[in-house]
Amino acid sequence: MNAVKRRSFLKTSASAAAVGAWQTTPLGAQESAAPAATVIVVHGTDIPKMLAAGIAKLGGWGAFIKPGMKVAIKPNVAWNSKPEQGGNTHPDLVRACVLAAEAQGAAKISLPENTCHPEKSTFQASGVADALKGTQARLYRPAKEDYQKVEIPKGKIAKSAGVPKDILECDCLINMPVAKHHSGATLTLSMKNWMGSVANEDRRAWHRDGLHQCIADFNTFIRPKLVIIDATRIMLTKGPQGPGDLEHPHELILSTDPVAADAYAATLFKKAPFDIAYIQLGHEMGVGCGDLAKIKVERIEA
Amino acid sequence: MMTRRNLLRLVLFAAFVLLALGVLPEAWRGWSVLLPGLSPLLSLGGALAARSAGLLTLLGLPLLVLPLFKGRYFCWRLCPMGFAAETVSRLNRRNAGLIRRVPFVGKGLALLIIGSAAAGWPLLIWTDPLCIFNGFFAAWRSPLTWLSAATAGGFVLILLASLIAPNIWCHRLCPLGGLQEWLAQLGNRLRAARGPAAQEAPTALSRAHAGRRVFLGFALGGVTGLLYRRFGLQAAAAAAAHETAACERGQGRGLGQGRQRRERASGEQDTGGHACSCGTEHRLAIRPPGAAATGFNALCARCGNCMAACPYGLILPDLGTTGVDGLFTPVLAFRSLNEQQEQFCFQECTACTQACPTGALRPLAVARKQQTAIGLAHVCKSRCIAWEKHEYCVVCQEYCPYHAIIEVERNGVMCPIVDADKCRGCGACESQCPALPIAIVVNGRARQPVLAHPSPQL
Repeated sequence: MNAVKRRSFLKTSASAAAVGAWQTTPLGAQESAAPAATVIVVHGTDIPKMLAAGIAKLGGWGAFIKPGMKVAIKPNVAWNSKPEQGGNTHPDLVRACVLAAEAQGAAKISLPENTCHPEKSTFQASGVADALKGTQARLYRPAKEDYQKVEIPKGKIAKSAGVPKDILECDCLINMPVAKHHSGATLTLSMKNWMGSVANEDRRAWHRDGLHQCIADFNTFIRPKLVIIDATRIMLTKGPQGPGDLEHPHELILSTDPVAADAYAATLFKKAPFDIAYIQLGHEMGVGCGDLAKIKVERIEA
Repeated sequence: MMTRRNLLRLVLFAAFVLLALGVLPEAWRGWSVLLPGLSPLLSLGGALAARSAGLLTLLGLPLLVLPLFKGRYFCWRLCPMGFAAETVSRLNRRNAGLIRRVPFVGKGLALLIIGSAAAGWPLLIWTDPLCIFNGFFAAWRSPLTWLSAATAGGFVLILLASLIAPNIWCHRLCPLGGLQEWLAQLGNRLRAARGPAAQEAPTALSRAHAGRRVFLGFALGGVTGLLYRRFGLQAAAAAAAHETAACERGQGRGLGQGRQRRERASGEQDTGGHACSCGTEHRLAIRPPGAAATGFNALCARCGNCMAACPYGLILPDLGTTGVDGLFTPVLAFRSLNEQQEQFCFQECTACTQACPTGALRPLAVARKQQTAIGLAHVCKSRCIAWEKHEYCVVCQEYCPYHAIIEVERNGVMCPIVDADKCRGCGACESQCPALPIAIVVNGRARQPVLAHPSPQL
């Protein structure tokens, strides 16, 4: 079948890219003029305004959400931690995004989140439960029956994973992590955020089998339309749970390329993107571009 | 026949069932302590034994005063256990006379409980009917297993006994009934002494007779309580010694013996290929937070309230790991003891501590709970995927709410060590440890120390 051919082609090209990454990257050689990815960095203090400004730069919400679409948002709301502690995506950001989706006429907005702490306290303490009051959005922790096992065709180690059905069946998937320190993976940004979606047994298996590779593997499967990283405040230590030392870059990072968004976000922590193994692996596997030299960073003020 | 009396009993029965089942909205669940707390044997007896009283203790007062004036009014009109036992007793009318040959054991039982409570270690406190009733309905929670339903046993036994020998529970065995019988007699006597007796005044002989019996009952209770205390304390001391040993073995504090010393001497190679000594066979059971430091097995009435109160289903009846007298007392089972369990003793939750009618678990505020160590985690390096396989992991550190996991860099990978001064034993680390088998497990503590390290979550 055609699809299989295409798949195997992609596989070979991905491994070719992996080999080539050490020399001058072949991707870059072909399209040296145009940037491989664009990252919008919005600086400001009013989160809804910042979001609106960033989205406008990416062509407006209409480019992502059309009336009647099913929208799924993956915030990072895993810990019983207050908004100012930077352990979770800021509630104002989640609310602004949900309101925008409602305004675009989304038929369904779901926010499945496999929390690490008991969900009731977590959703409450994070402020996200209150932020979503009066909206049609549904924030929930998926139960066993909400998951569906999917194959990860391009996965090198992670070959399958349990993913919430709402994420699989949506028309527009938005990844909305918070940028913070992570004891196991160095940093948690957008690619790592999907660990908060998959089933617990997959999470555990990924740790056993090679965390960074599994994160990259899963990102070859899951393709969000939009990545919005909350870097209004970033936790520098004691992550992912905190409380730890904070810094306040007052930034939102928007991109359609998760690897590029993560690569830029890593610089906020004074890290080279490829020091984070999953960013390098994602780059090599063709998930996106993690090479800062080929990423166009557009800074705006809001 | 639905007389007004039976209607009242039915309504009360249903109300108490709802309380014990824990199906009420969360704000109401704290009231689950009401039913067992009504029994003076539990609330007052517990306070007497623990030498500490609280608001809860007052709950037992009404049933101490009411029988002085109204006899066993509570038994025949209000008690849900009595209602159930009486209803079942009606099924077997043929054996109705059987109980005449049985002495009123409950009266002795009541004195024994109070006497031993006064000695600090109440005996047989779990024979209280309100506690047995509560234990049955508190057991109906998911996931329902044979183990989690263990506290339901007493209720079933009473109904079976009532079927064989009708009314044997209320009229012969019940200690709460026995207590009220004594109090009713006392009330009669007081009234007779005050005025020209309408009722028949007790003779001097029977008065002395009863007095002697009460004294004997209390004395027997006191002596057995003291004996129980002596052997109970011995067991506790043994457990504490065991804990110290486990701690030295597990945490590597102080100099270990034998193999451990060799391991430490070999430095970097210390974990390679060794089987770990932290097996599950000698583990100390983990008590719910706020557990009384001494005499827990004696104080615990097995009413099942704490087990039903735990939102995460962590608390299960013990099957003997806490001593022969610890049967069905509450212990926590984290993931290494219960595969299905992916939760831990959450830092914001104090539900179980608020649900205990006897004071075996003291009510804790959230701040106090976060300073109280119920156990101590231990990393088994030979199982740990960071130590052994050099994989990026430290999920234990991710989950630990108290920053009690110290990370040590080894081969470019962060590896976990437990900081015993910070670990509360909440089981967060154990709840998601990806290693097979689980590489970080929590051991109980013989006592629950209050740690000096301030909780980062406050």
